[in-house]
Amino acid sequence: MKKNLLVKIMGLIVIASFVLAACGSPAATEAPATEAPAMTEAPAATEASATEASSADVALRWRTRPDNQEEIDVYSKISTELDAQLDGITLTYEPGGSEGANYQDQLRAEIAAGTAPDVFWIPGTDVADFATRGLILNAADLADATEGYTAADFYEGPMFHLTYNPETGASGDGSGAVWGLPRDVSTFALYLNLDLIAEAGAADPRELAANGEWTWESFLEVSQATRALGSDIYGYGASAWWGPYGVWLNASGGGFFNEDRTACALNTEESLAGLDFQRSLYQDYDVATPYGEDPEPGFRAGKVAMFQNGRWATPGIRTVDFNWDVVELPAGPNGTPGNWLFWGAYVINANTEHPEEAWALVQALTTAETQGQISALGANIPSRVSPEALDAFLTFTPPANNQAFLNGIAPEAAPTAEGPLWAGSWPEFDKIMGPAIQGVLTGSTTVEDFGATICDEANKAFNQ
Amino acid sequence: MTAQSRVDAQTNLIVRVHMIWRILFALLAAGTVYMMWTTAAETSLWQKIVLSLTAVAAAGFSVYGGVQISKRNHVGRMTSLVLDYLGFVACFVFALNVGEFFIGIDALGQTFGKGLPYLGITILGYFLGALEEYFPGKKKSPESSLKVVSRWVMIGGFILFLWQVDAVKGVIYFLGKLAQPTGLIAIVGLVIFGLSLWSLNRTNISLALNTKTGHEQIINGWLFLSPNLIGFLIFFAGPLLLSFYFSFTDSDAIRTPNWVGFENYAKILNIKFVTLDSPDQLARDVVDIKIYDEVGRFTFGNTGILFAAADKFFWLALRNTLTFVLFVVPLSVIPALVLSNILNSKLPGMKFYRAVYFMPSIAAVVGISLVWQWLYNATIGYINYFITLGIEFWNNLFNVAVVDPKIQWVSDEKTALFAIIIIAAWQTMGFNTVLFLAGLQNIPGELYEAATVDGAGAWDKFWGITLPMLAPTTFYVVSTTTIQAMQVFEQVFILMNPPEGPNNSTITLVLYLYRSGFQNFQQGYASAIAWVLFIVIFGLTLIQFQRQRRSSIYES
Repeated sequence: MKKNLLVKIMGLIVIASFVLAACGSPAATEAPATEAPAMTEAPAATEASATEASSADVALRWRTRPDNQEEIDVYSKISTELDAQLDGITLTYEPGGSEGANYQDQLRAEIAAGTAPDVFWIPGTDVADFATRGLILNAADLADATEGYTAADFYEGPMFHLTYNPETGASGDGSGAVWGLPRDVSTFALYLNLDLIAEAGAADPRELAANGEWTWESFLEVSQATRALGSDIYGYGASAWWGPYGVWLNASGGGFFNEDRTACALNTEESLAGLDFQRSLYQDYDVATPYGEDPEPGFRAGKVAMFQNGRWATPGIRTVDFNWDVVELPAGPNGTPGNWLFWGAYVINANTEHPEEAWALVQALTTAETQGQISALGANIPSRVSPEALDAFLTFTPPANNQAFLNGIAPEAAPTAEGPLWAGSWPEFDKIMGPAIQGVLTGSTTVEDFGATICDEANKAFNQ
Repeated sequence: MTAQSRVDAQTNLIVRVHMIWRILFALLAAGTVYMMWTTAAETSLWQKIVLSLTAVAAAGFSVYGGVQISKRNHVGRMTSLVLDYLGFVACFVFALNVGEFFIGIDALGQTFGKGLPYLGITILGYFLGALEEYFPGKKKSPESSLKVVSRWVMIGGFILFLWQVDAVKGVIYFLGKLAQPTGLIAIVGLVIFGLSLWSLNRTNISLALNTKTGHEQIINGWLFLSPNLIGFLIFFAGPLLLSFYFSFTDSDAIRTPNWVGFENYAKILNIKFVTLDSPDQLARDVVDIKIYDEVGRFTFGNTGILFAAADKFFWLALRNTLTFVLFVVPLSVIPALVLSNILNSKLPGMKFYRAVYFMPSIAAVVGISLVWQWLYNATIGYINYFITLGIEFWNNLFNVAVVDPKIQWVSDEKTALFAIIIIAAWQTMGFNTVLFLAGLQNIPGELYEAATVDGAGAWDKFWGITLPMLAPTTFYVVSTTTIQAMQVFEQVFILMNPPEGPNNSTITLVLYLYRSGFQNFQQGYASAIAWVLFIVIFGLTLIQFQRQRRSSIYES
């Protein structure tokens, strides 16, 4: 009897203790933030003042999508440093996304629930959707009141979209719209397995590029030569999303949209020519890893000679055990590689209680110094047009040929800026375009059939 | 005044207080409705309607309860108990919310790791106590020194654990939050509802309100049911009804939704069949391409029929989902039936094999899908690697030239859905095997013995005894597998890139509603898809039930 009573009491104590422990305070949540300066050896005075001021500080949460633990560590470090720098602001960094919870899906759900962070990163394609739904703050007034701020400090392509005013159609400084600032930029390059290329006796793509001979034809030659090394060796590999296939359309003078981005242009002669060349890589010449299969494991296993990917793939590729480097994409019929200027932006939650502080944070996250720290990791390129920042970027090796990335975003390469669809819905457009193009590249649909019907469907993604 | 009359007077007073409380409760509920419609401008219409209906119902029941109490009817007590119990639970949850208890759970998750070593000390203490069992002879007193040491080690370890996970800070913070006006309102509510419940449960009040033992039993029954019932109403029935409402709106989950009537359903069901002049005639020549998209075409000689829909993705998703069900159900039920018969034998090591086959069912779908993604990789995956090895061996052995198919499991529209079917069937089979095993073990052995005496063979026994006797289990397995298969999502979402697969060959209904609701901000439309899916599943299950009844095996 006594034993039973003891067990019951102990059980109750355990349950009550867990309940009480669960009554955790924000102080407990924020404990790492106050401890972090000590880890990064911040000045003791700053540490002390930060702790003292914490009760009066404005607490901001911010989030960006990291690709790996190293990036999480860098962003955490940056958050700690900015926490110490920004007077009156206490920061909490939340890395978003996991295998089971897609970054954007999780963010959308939190916005709907009203629990999204004050500042968060979104890809360039999502800016219009978020802006027109009133989910992100137009920081134009805050930007106007900020001394020294100008859109010209950043790459033109991203800033065109980030300062686009859907009501007036104007863009740039004074347009009345600033939806955020670009976190970084990136572009495609071809990661080369130099050992395979040498074994095949093919010309070195880097030399071909230096001589101005790096074209679709020479690309195909290198692909075929390496493919001939064995049935399990492939000349080229690219992932299955709009970025990789888009460059072939761009390089032949076509593209996804018409010039003012108000209608589908996938069925133009130029777009279809670009798509047909890409199709031939998969179907006629059989030099590419099957479309829809992830080519990265194959490249890392030394079975793919040229792997098309962005700068973000560099940290992972640095671990391979063969000779590798990068080269810019080959020039297409219109003389340019048709590359993308990828970007994403830090934006302010429209429901934030502290817009001024959030804007200060967005600016602090996009300074040359902050971007330099992230670029040093190798995953991306600074979004500020700063010779110093770009010179520093070239030192972040391997790859030795970092210049290939800068060539990709140089004005003469005429990259197409990744951009939102102000006149329609990008997710809807992508939903129609992606599977249809996959059908062509896997051989189940002809280019002609694709061209005959695609814009009938895709134009429904635009505002009618 | 005698003691008895004093008690009676006290009881009468409490009963009158309860009557007043019921009226007050009704007035408070009515006041809430008034405030909601006059001051709460930010509350959306549907929220106002739902909350108003709830408050009006509460007010109505409260008045009714008060009237019944005045008549000394036990129904009044029961009504009061229900209302006060719900009020108590609501105040309790509100108090936890005001005290940021739910955020605190996250905080505990973050600091839990720091306390783990001390939790280890507690476990160590437990094992110390358990050691006593090994020294029974040395027990001198009811409480041995080992027990005492064990207890104090456990208590000490647990106190240290609580300290490490910031439990003290948490409690102080919680109490600080409760000290604010909203917290105090919650506490006052808790006290009032608690007192009311306590007094209604006193024997003299129960007797005064003519409560019988049967009534008490009913109340206790509902009380035991209430945690599940409240959870069901709040977390299942509520969202279910809400999604039904959303399906008639243009909700994007962010802005106030607009009522659109049957527009969402009309778009889903807007289909057209058109005769083609030639098999390759373009859709735009025969349907209004601004409304319809081609879903598919059936060709006969020099003509054909075009199937067009306003939302082609829904119909492609429905086609893929039904195809998936058509293959997954037999592939995960028939092998499970065979396997369970094998595993039901008395051979040594069967328990091990039962565990092995059950393992895929308890493994995380995400992890499994990622592993299969590697296995399916067309260039460096193990499946293709072994196929290549097998073909090379075959070719060398028989001096033939069989061509390696190099199957593109997930990137070819002909095989993509099949690749997912294989995973799903493999994963579900283990669970179904366990269900069949349970069914097999319920079949009386006498039946088999009698059959053996009658000269029946193994096949006869299986066909004549096992299968009919397993009919209830088979029905359950087929029904649940069908329902589960209709909701296929995780495997497709993780395995395929993009999830829709080549030419939309792996788009499924749940995937499509997820994409619509959470990626395209079309919660209203996604809700309509969910309800159509519900109707499809309900219809299929109904058919299964009817077939089962018709065969009358289930009843017998």
